[in-house]
Parts: sequence; structure tokens; C-alpha cells
Amino acid sequence: MSEVKTNKLTGTSTAGSILVTGEGNSTTTNLQQGLAKVWAKCSADGTSITDSFNITSLSDDGTALQTLTIANDMANANYSSLATSIDSTCILIADSHATGTYRLVSRNNAGTLTDSITHSALLGDLA
Amino acid sequence: MALGKIKADTLEHSTAGSLDTKFVVNGSAKVWSRWQGTDTFGINDSLNVTSGTDNGTGDYTMTFSSAMGNANYSFTTNTMNNTSTNKGFITGLDSGSTPQTGSFDTTIHQNETGLADRGYVSLQIMGDLA
Repeated sequence: MSEVKTNKLTGTSTAGSILVTGEGNSTTTNLQQGLAKVWAKCSADGTSITDSFNITSLSDDGTALQTLTIANDMANANYSSLATSIDSTCILIADSHATGTYRLVSRNNAGTLTDSITHSALLGDLA
Repeated sequence: MALGKIKADTLEHSTAGSLDTKFVVNGSAKVWSRWQGTDTFGINDSLNVTSGTDNGTGDYTMTFSSAMGNANYSFTTNTMNNTSTNKGFITGLDSGSTPQTGSFDTTIHQNETGLADRGYVSLQIMGDLA
């Protein structure tokens, strides 16, 4: 097996753009664009981060409301967000998007704000 | 200058560990998009999306630039909530549709009241490119 040992990958033509050949060997996808820039699992009460990437802190904003602060900011607030609850009776949504924070809102199937363990991730451009 | 090309099975960082490059190829999102679903429809930002269509209230189609290898991909969708009212919004694949290799149809339902437009809608797709 071949192996590349490096601490940093940088594009030749554009530093922040490296192409990866796709599974079908006929098209390419952009490495930087396809990577999740943030992910986190947080406790239902919003007081602790179970595990995360590129998250610096969690704030409990009240029942069912959690704000996560991003360590290395996103370039803009147009990122695509992913959010789901560990509780199948709850719907989790990323309510607000800013370059340095995002907020999660959890509701039960009656629409009532309800605490739940949260899973979230962001896809988009790093600053 | 000619473009460089690396063929390798493993990437290794000095402290953060190593990674089989199959996780880079298979683990990268092949499509993501964030769009404005209310007022004037428009895509805010995206990867591998060539166009978007507003099909009517709470119903949108994203068309891919490079097609997926099959329709068995994993997808997630999301939208903004509204904390000022006691309402939730559920997003997902349009119940009248199936995943397509070249496009994906997302709908948004407001609990008990049917399809609804939302300001910010997100789509992510993981799977095999064609």
C-alpha cells in the first residue's frame, strides 16, 4: 500500500481546492467542499458536549434550545446544516446560522419545545 | 505548471493519526445545498448542484452537476424552526418522489397544516458518484 505522511494538504492551482476521483472513476468531487467542517453530539439538557469537531463551547438557552460556538468560523452563514435527535419522537432543527455560532431547536411530535440529545453537522466554506 | 496528482491508500498526520483514503472518497459529501425557500427562491451556496427549482409551496428540486452512481445514497434535509410559535417543521424526500441519480426533491411539512415554505432549507447527500 502507498502512504502519504503529511500534516497539511494544499491544492496546487488553488490552495483550498483539491479534487478527489469519485467511486465510479468518471467524475471528481471537491475534497474541501465535501468535508464536514463542524459536528457535535450534545447532552439533552444542553450542559455538556459529548464529542465534537471544531466546536469550542455549548450554551443552554433554555428548554430545547442549544447554541454551539464554532472554533474556526465558517466563511459565511450560507452553510448547509444537518441536525437530528436521538429521540425518535423529537424533531431537531438548526434554527439560526451565523459564521461563529448556530442554534438547535428540539420539538416533540406535538410541536412542543422538548429537550433531547442533539446530533448536528455543518457543510460549507471555512473562513 | 502541470497539475500534481497523488495516488495513495493512506494519509497520515504527525499527531492526529492516519486515514485510509477510501474514507476520503466514500466519506465526503457529494452534494450539499442551502437555499432560500420563501419570497424569492434562490440557492445560497452549494456543492455539485447545477440548478434548483421551486415546485410550489414547500416543494423544491435540486439538480446535480455530476450524477450519483445510483439512487441508494444517504440523504438528510433540514430547515429553520420557529421558536415564537408552537410549530415544528419536518423536511424530507417528497412522498410522491424517489431519490434520483441526477436530482432530489425536498418537501417541508408544518405539523398538521401541510406543506410550508421556509427561509433556509438544507440538503446533504452521502454516497457514490457515477
